[in-house]
Amino acid sequence: MLQRHLKKHHIAIILLHWFNAIVWLLELLTGAALFSSALFRVAPAWYISIVAGIFGSRGHMLQFHVALGLTWIGVYLVYGVFGFRTYLSREVLQNEIALDRDDYRWLVVRTLGILGLTREMLPPQGVYNAGQKLFALMVYVMLPLVMITGIVMTFRLFGPAVVGWAVVLHFCAVGAVVCGLIIHVYMGAVFPEEKPAFFSMITGTVNELYAYNHHFKWWTAVKAEQRAWDRRHDAEAKPVPEVGVPD
Amino acid sequence: MARYGMVIDLKACVGCHACTVACATEWNLPAGEARTHVRATPVAGTFPALQSSVFVAQCNHCDRPPCLEACPSGATSQGADGIVRIDHTVCIGCGFCMEACPYDARFLNPLDKKVDKCDFCAARIERGQEPACVATCTASAKHFGDLEDPGSAVFRLVYEQGAQRIESTAVAVGPNVFYAGKPAQLALVQTSFPPRAPRLPVAGTSLSRVLKGLVLTMVGVTFAGQAVAFFNQLRTGEQDFED
Repeated sequence: MLQRHLKKHHIAIILLHWFNAIVWLLELLTGAALFSSALFRVAPAWYISIVAGIFGSRGHMLQFHVALGLTWIGVYLVYGVFGFRTYLSREVLQNEIALDRDDYRWLVVRTLGILGLTREMLPPQGVYNAGQKLFALMVYVMLPLVMITGIVMTFRLFGPAVVGWAVVLHFCAVGAVVCGLIIHVYMGAVFPEEKPAFFSMITGTVNELYAYNHHFKWWTAVKAEQRAWDRRHDAEAKPVPEVGVPD
Repeated sequence: MARYGMVIDLKACVGCHACTVACATEWNLPAGEARTHVRATPVAGTFPALQSSVFVAQCNHCDRPPCLEACPSGATSQGADGIVRIDHTVCIGCGFCMEACPYDARFLNPLDKKVDKCDFCAARIERGQEPACVATCTASAKHFGDLEDPGSAVFRLVYEQGAQRIESTAVAVGPNVFYAGKPAQLALVQTSFPPRAPRLPVAGTSLSRVLKGLVLTMVGVTFAGQAVAFFNQLRTGEQDFED
């Protein structure tokens, strides 16, 4: 079971994931330095001057932040247009993101377990566990908000009052994603039990034992699909004709 | 380093608006916009003891400019020469600074939708020229120079002839545009164009007073939670769960 692998992520998703990760890293590093007055500052003054110094001026730093952000939005648009049925159809969202009863239970047991307060078994999970689903749900709400407010600020749309609120919403939406991101990075890259999930974002596959242990409902579904395919294949298979000797 | 300031002699000013036109021309501003404006007080008093005055308003390059703190992006800065400048490559047009200015000296340029205001023609000063409005003033009512240089005209007008700042006890941010005139005239200008209290739009106050702290706390708590989990993981050691 450990040697056999199940395909979990398409190459397109793997590429998007790492592109997204690099963009978020750079946007957060520059974004934290963009608020500069004492009223709004979120990073210490020395950090702000270092980042502005790397880019040469605050203007170039903002230009980089905006250019990278717009590129990022463009890439997401392309994915949204060409991959709508693959990633955003109602069926996919229901299977992969909507939480069920097991998921709610999982969230409680998982949190207590990590803090060392319980040793209860985790409820069975689908292709994504409840933590991943919750993170995805928040990201699905916050990403459009980050994108729209970013565009409003970039092109200074609808006047100063709207631009002012765009600054506020951009900051809050990013703050919410960062909270999720801290957990996401810890669970994906540091937490020992989920290591196959981390490597699946590189290879695209997970070993079957991990799928069995951590995503039992998904494993069951994949197995059922394989068996159905085998049955269909067996039924359709015709006996191999004997190689006849020409008369 | 010089500490630049301006003195506007309201006795000499004839209200011809040449300064407004020179400013708009110098900085290529769209029709109807300028960084300096000529206004008039209402007529006060009873006949025949009537009093009125023209008034020229622009950025005051204050000692403690409220616009500086209100600018979230750091586009507004103040140099050692006292000039408050806007870096147009950094301005995002949120308008927080326009609300903060007690003199309403800032406006939104309708062409690039960024905030604009007087910078004492900093580019002309660097070339050794006077600000455009000063150079063009038909009545020589506008004087520009170094407030720390005892030989300058502005020093003489402010410290020897009593040119005044337009400020109140409630709003005293140290404006560096001074006004000369007859005492009754200056008193009328003071009451007609008083500075208003600096303010921030609701978006600005909610971000600086509530949401900034809230978001940083949320991020901090999440990080602390993961740190606890991480140390828990180090303490219990990694079990090879899968094999």
